[in-house]
Amino acid sequence: MIGEKNYYLNVFQVDVPALDKLIGEALATGGGYADLYFENTTYGSLLLRDGAVTSGGNHIDFGVGVRVLSGEKTGYAYSESTAWEDMLASARAAAQIASSAAEVSPYGTRNPSRGEPNPNADRYPILQPWRGAPMSTFLPFLQKLEADVRRRDARIVKVIVNLAFQVSNILMYNSQKELKWDTRPMGSVSLSVVFKQGNLTENKSTSRSFRCGAEMLTDSLVQEMASDVVKGIDDRFAAKRPKGGQMPVVMGAGASGILLHEAMGHAFEADFNRKGTSIFADKMGQQICPKGIQIIDDGTLRGNRGSLNFDDEGIPGQKTYMVEDGVLTSYLHDRISAAHYGVRPTGNGRRESFRYAPIPRMRATYMESGNAKADDLVAEVSKGIFVDEFANGQVQIGEGDFTFYVKSGYLIENGKLTQPVKDINIIGNGPAALADIRGVADDLSIDPGAWTCGKEQSAPVSCGIPTVLIGKLTVGGE
Amino acid sequence: MEKAILTQEEITLAKHCLAFAMQQGADAVRITLTKSLMNLVGLLNGEVDKTAHALDRSLQLQLFVEGRFGSFSSNRLEKEGLEAFIREAIGTVKMLEADAFRALPAPERLAKDAVTGRELGLYDTEYESLTAEKRREMALSSMAWPRLSSAHPGNSWKLISEEGEYSDSVFDSLTLDSQGLEARHTETSFEIGYESTVEDSEGRHFSSYWWDATPRLKDLQLKDCAEKACQRAVAQLDPQGVPSGKYTLILESECASKVVTLVLNALGGYSLQQKNSFLTDSLGKQLFPEGLTILDAPRTPGDTGCRLFDSEGVATREMPIIQNGVVKTYFLNTYISRKMEMEPTVEDATRVKVLPFGGCRTQEEVLAKMRDGILVTGFNGGNSNPATGNFSYGIEGFLIKDGKRVHPVREMLITGNFLTLWNNLVAVADDARPCLSKLVPTLAFKEVDFSA
Repeated sequence: MIGEKNYYLNVFQVDVPALDKLIGEALATGGGYADLYFENTTYGSLLLRDGAVTSGGNHIDFGVGVRVLSGEKTGYAYSESTAWEDMLASARAAAQIASSAAEVSPYGTRNPSRGEPNPNADRYPILQPWRGAPMSTFLPFLQKLEADVRRRDARIVKVIVNLAFQVSNILMYNSQKELKWDTRPMGSVSLSVVFKQGNLTENKSTSRSFRCGAEMLTDSLVQEMASDVVKGIDDRFAAKRPKGGQMPVVMGAGASGILLHEAMGHAFEADFNRKGTSIFADKMGQQICPKGIQIIDDGTLRGNRGSLNFDDEGIPGQKTYMVEDGVLTSYLHDRISAAHYGVRPTGNGRRESFRYAPIPRMRATYMESGNAKADDLVAEVSKGIFVDEFANGQVQIGEGDFTFYVKSGYLIENGKLTQPVKDINIIGNGPAALADIRGVADDLSIDPGAWTCGKEQSAPVSCGIPTVLIGKLTVGGE
Repeated sequence: MEKAILTQEEITLAKHCLAFAMQQGADAVRITLTKSLMNLVGLLNGEVDKTAHALDRSLQLQLFVEGRFGSFSSNRLEKEGLEAFIREAIGTVKMLEADAFRALPAPERLAKDAVTGRELGLYDTEYESLTAEKRREMALSSMAWPRLSSAHPGNSWKLISEEGEYSDSVFDSLTLDSQGLEARHTETSFEIGYESTVEDSEGRHFSSYWWDATPRLKDLQLKDCAEKACQRAVAQLDPQGVPSGKYTLILESECASKVVTLVLNALGGYSLQQKNSFLTDSLGKQLFPEGLTILDAPRTPGDTGCRLFDSEGVATREMPIIQNGVVKTYFLNTYISRKMEMEPTVEDATRVKVLPFGGCRTQEEVLAKMRDGILVTGFNGGNSNPATGNFSYGIEGFLIKDGKRVHPVREMLITGNFLTLWNNLVAVADDARPCLSKLVPTLAFKEVDFSA
């Protein structure tokens, strides 16, 4: 939701002349570019545990960050108050980075995105506000969800439901006199369940997270999440660790998108490439995976956890093709890296809060659908593994080695799913895995879960993928 | 400098908020007021790349109202705004469901010796003399880039990136409650860290890091940090495959805390109460090998990470967590202890220390004693199942033969179950660096499953 300019100026008790004056102070020692990032965030949470909503609270985070660029060097400081003296102190602290005048060319000439970004788009209207609504409004949702889950399986011994929401008012201004403002909502529901069967215990969880208002808390969401968390529990109890080794892996549609995020997306973030540390640092314009594959980072999906009307440098949200027809076509840029490479920023300059300087970060990262059918990809494998539920992942940017943890999946034997498997890791090398993609199905799914990326700072993201067959990855088993 | 420490005005405001919340109908209140000031100088390839200056304040309120409980915080520390915030917060708590187990800790359990915040000697007055120029000088003096980035004939690698950060901070906190608790903790911290990336003759990249941290500036190891990061990256050149199988796992101290943290998590009250722990009903049982003793030693003066009280204001004390293989404590705060009908302990472990076992002092002695195995120097992803204790982690490290490093290994996984792993413990060295948040030395476990 975007709203009116004056609302934001009032929230932060500033006006444009004062912002100009502050920018002037920030550049007084010779910096080439400066920007201000004002944030007023309200967080709320409710926790249902042991059958009752007995814990909740609200939190306020307010402040302004001042960034000064001197060439590619960054000075950063912030204040938790917008009183003039406090902001001035921050501007002067940030200005220390600059020892002499330096030129910055924050925009280049080549736009790696398809089409022009729309600066007027509103990708997350709030239909039912979180802010100002009494907490009692939200209690029934948690209670209904718990009741629905318990009704579905007698083996359930514990249920935890957590509702977390936040609303951030953002005001941005920079030395190019660009003033941008935005209100970003986020609602997240997580559901965690412990099952007991004889002496065996298993836990399952699911989550939903969207940039929207409280209108997300519907009965259909209750049913969807309750159904999701009990689905496959019989297989989970029956699951075993497979014998480890190298084998073909079929990545199920949706949450397997974490492979793209970890193994490829981070290596496409331009700061790693600018510093020469990424495995893709010298691969621009080269064929890095089979023809026909498109990999995208998208800030424009309505209500998506990773979407942005503007990034945290005031660049309009946009859709960036990182790989087109198998060729590496764009990194993910903030203003610094865009200036370094002589391209336009891609709207990937993001930060956890006003306490952090922006860096290139992903938004919603996914691969476009291909032409194959998911069942046909499984049928191609004589001995391998199908994976569809993940806990987390990690990558070593320099080497390109990735690991991600599989919570559930199945062995593939003679083209059919057989024994359920769980609690294993899959490891591989990003460029090698990309080059080894054997087939892409026509069933792209963006996972709706509460994915959070932890590169230096926390940032909400999402990921997606169609069903994909990779020729060979290492599976850790017994 | 004055701004780094809580002012009398800020303390008075916190006390006013406590009294105001009680006036507005709270039955009990706990308030934690925190303030921190951090300065950072970042380096990239021989130059200052970024500077940062951060002053944070926060007032956290925990409100007990009509048998209900809520937790709130704000960083807007103006009296009128906070009063409105507290009024609204009390209204919010009243909307929640009642919870008979919520209460402040019994007064006799509260810390009474954390008066000035400096009792543990973790505040270094040297901090007060630091200037922006001095910080920049220290940061620049720590670089290895000027020397290591120039061409060295005969080297099979070149340094392509050296990122470093020097930072210092002051943290000051005061915890108050409505039964008279006043507990303060003040500390300084000085840190240096480097990540270096080298490229081999075939264009492959290898990265590693090194760091140091201390409460006292004079103890900070500025000089060799960048060099060590580079050495560790170079050591990874030319990795080779190793067949899957059972190997002795030697876990370097730098990353060994992972396996201890997961034991501590499993002994945490919330995990136990929610039956989501592989150590359910473990108290008093011999589930670990006899040689294993893990202590919590939170009150050692001058020692990194020590504290006199936990987040509830409860006094910490030295105690065994695992003693000769027997589980000696759970971590139970007031709430969880009442729910589980057990005696409360502390919220969490503060300064964990794993005692030596097996006769080895250093990593080299452990390698010599084990002779063959895989030395793990870092984890790359992975996870564990808290309910079953099953785990699977990506690792990097070195193949060991006859007590020596043979070659680096990558793209390997270890899998198993934590209880099985710990019962295969064969050595604990005595080489944990004081800067580690948990004093976990090099560990060795026999017959661990490695996949490659």
